[in-house]
Amino acid sequence: MVRMVGGVTLVGLAAGLVMAFGVAPREVTQGNVQRIMYVHVPSVWVAYLAFAVVLVASIVYLARRVDGADRLAHASAEVGVLFTGLTIATGSIWGKPTWGTWWTWDARLTSVSILFVMYLGYLLLRGMIEDPDQGARYAAVLGIVAAFNIPLVHFSVYWWRTLHQPPSLMKPGPGTMPGVIVAALMVNFVAFSLLYVYFVAKRVNLLRREAEAAA
Amino acid sequence: MPDNWGFVLAAYGLAAVVLIAYWRRLVRRERAMGAEHRPTVRRT
Repeated sequence: MVRMVGGVTLVGLAAGLVMAFGVAPREVTQGNVQRIMYVHVPSVWVAYLAFAVVLVASIVYLARRVDGADRLAHASAEVGVLFTGLTIATGSIWGKPTWGTWWTWDARLTSVSILFVMYLGYLLLRGMIEDPDQGARYAAVLGIVAAFNIPLVHFSVYWWRTLHQPPSLMKPGPGTMPGVIVAALMVNFVAFSLLYVYFVAKRVNLLRREAEAAA
Repeated sequence: MPDNWGFVLAAYGLAAVVLIAYWRRLVRRERAMGAEHRPTVRRT
């Protein structure tokens, strides 16, 4: 099953590349550098998704003490950190030619950096505590608290004056982007979401086997 | 505005390297787990 998801993901990522470079037009204002959006925006979407899953799985773990929920939270946090790092790096690469700087401490960039450090801390916390039950409990609490930063990241562009543009897609009201750009973005959203599912499934399986071996 | 293809390639290249590296790490750990827990056959 996981292998099949991997195969479909690979096809999805290839389709995403075709859409980003072959179908989506050259953006009028920014030129071809705007094509970074097709990797940057789906990355942050996966990061939001991953941390939302951490939140739900952490609540389930604290309520029911289901080991599977703890493993899902752990795996999802790890994949979320990976994609948050990718969001920051690709955003920085995109920022240099468009803003003239690799980095600036504006609200969106600062809040997403805090998100990255919080979930990095979540993973470090899990690694530091030897008792697995205690580690899972503490991590679940942190997984719930850290999730409060997700709306802060998303709405930071509305709440503060920032260099970062407001969202073009994940916002209320009618969209302003041309249909073909939205379509290219959607294909990449699906491909990256499948990649998230594939990575998390593999990581959960690995955590289960590690727990069985340790028992 | 110039196209800045170098930045585009850098972003996609970095994404590819990071994602492939993570996938390889998962596969390596799976293999290591499999090797650790594979029953050893003794020849008599």
